[in-house]
Amino acid sequence: MKNRGKSDMKLALVLLFPSVFLVLLLVAYPMISNIRISFFDLPINPRLDAAFVGLKNYTDILTDVEFIKSLGITVLYMILAVAGSTALGLAVAIFFNRPFKFRKAARSLIILSYVTPSISLVFAWKYMFNNGYGVINHLGVDVFHLFDKAPLWFDNPVSSFILVVLFAIWRYFPYAFISFLAILQTVDSSLYEAAEIDGASTWEKFRNVTIPAIMPVLITIITLRSIWLFYMFTDVYLLTNKVNIIGIYLYETAFAFNDLGKAASISVILFIILSIVIIASRKRVKFNGNG
Amino acid sequence: MAMASSKKNKAARKIGFYTGLIALLVVSLFPFFIMLMTSFKNSKEAVATEPTFFPKHWTLQHYVDIFNPDIFPFLSYFKNSLTVALTAALLSVLIGIFGAYALSKLNFIGKTTINASFYTVYMLSGILLVVPLFKIISGLGLYDTKTALIITMIVQTLPTSIFMLKSYFDTIPDDLEEAAMIDGLNRVQIIFYIIIPLAISGIISVFVYSFMVAWNDYLFASIFLSDSANFTLPIGLNALFSTPDYIWGRMMAASLITALPVVGMYAISEHFIKGNMTEGGVKG
Repeated sequence: MKNRGKSDMKLALVLLFPSVFLVLLLVAYPMISNIRISFFDLPINPRLDAAFVGLKNYTDILTDVEFIKSLGITVLYMILAVAGSTALGLAVAIFFNRPFKFRKAARSLIILSYVTPSISLVFAWKYMFNNGYGVINHLGVDVFHLFDKAPLWFDNPVSSFILVVLFAIWRYFPYAFISFLAILQTVDSSLYEAAEIDGASTWEKFRNVTIPAIMPVLITIITLRSIWLFYMFTDVYLLTNKVNIIGIYLYETAFAFNDLGKAASISVILFIILSIVIIASRKRVKFNGNG
Repeated sequence: MAMASSKKNKAARKIGFYTGLIALLVVSLFPFFIMLMTSFKNSKEAVATEPTFFPKHWTLQHYVDIFNPDIFPFLSYFKNSLTVALTAALLSVLIGIFGAYALSKLNFIGKTTINASFYTVYMLSGILLVVPLFKIISGLGLYDTKTALIITMIVQTLPTSIFMLKSYFDTIPDDLEEAAMIDGLNRVQIIFYIIIPLAISGIISVFVYSFMVAWNDYLFASIFLSDSANFTLPIGLNALFSTPDYIWGRMMAASLITALPVVGMYAISEHFIKGNMTEGGVKG
């Protein structure tokens, strides 16, 4: 069956044509088009002419303090949210890795924040963290006295930043949890028993048995989640306008300041960063954990 | 004596475990609880400075209101979202099946290149493509149409669809196909009569995944759509939120109904399918 290369070629072309065509038209071509647009001063209005400006968009961007600041905020957001959601996901997976009543139901409930649309979750959070009548400030100030003064969650850049990081951890830890739980269930329990006989402590068992077993999944989760959070737009944009991560910076450059050329040059710079990550991670990341 | 204390120990550990579990669930589900309770509160109670957990006066008014087109365009948004998500998911699955079959079962030159380029696309975020896509969609005359959104959603989900389906197809033994060929089935018949039925759980997972991505999309809807008659739920609800006269209970009721199709689909696929989408590196 593997030796009929010639007849397969024709069929492969036909079967792959729609996928390849769509990807070429709506991914590859746009990416190249980004490079072209990045050399122009291009207004959003199609009736206005584009002017060739050479590398001006790039020099503008790379000397723009706001861009550098935005990159810094994005990296910090990414690191904190990846670390938080991965660590929490792993802790909960270890916690769940034993038989108990209602395990299946509890697992399904934990996943809820991951499968619910952002827009619904964002409304709930905006309501809960409302400055005036939100339940979080009510609990934090009046009931538990955690803060002296109610934080204005959506108006202050620092508290807004904390808010979007907490949101990302809460929303994305179930993904890590499920992936870790699946791999933990394949770990041979005799490994733990052997370690116990050797007098290993809980920490030693974790370091010497659990960590090596989950390593491939851990690398995959950290890589993918880092990339997705680095390019995050929707969650943060809908929650607050005080955290200017790179996705929002790019979006607003294009559609709020109507500077498509500059936005395209940001896309190209980000694409270069992404390419480096892809090349570095290619050998180590699996797409589907069922393998 | 020793046995009694170990029994006691066990009971204590059990209590500790369930306390931890409940604490975890409370934190995890708290926003959902607030959403649900607020949707039953009247407008005044929802903004009381002394927030209540449970409504003092339960009301179903918000649920009645969101389904009344004179008050709230929720149904129109819902219908648009459903059209976009269903069409995009169906096409993504169909195109994905063909592509995945070729990559899984056929021998041809350029296979590695195609695999590698889909891998790149898989990692590529939509945000990097907003500028040129906006130009292309406008150039094609598709600005402010649902078609623009459907096509974009197909492309956004396609690489994941193909990789997920491929991993399911890879588990189907070649012998089965060879037997079918001896019985006189051609490749296309094999796809429809052998591969699809055998990989049906994977196909459903991919459908649910694609549906969710399309249902949740805010980014592309916000740049492609301008007439509120075309709005999908995320962009429509967010636009309502920006107006001064939104009512919390109504927004919460709308949020819950918005979540219902995807959560329901997910629950069904979770129930019937072993090894579903969240158990892999699915984009999201």
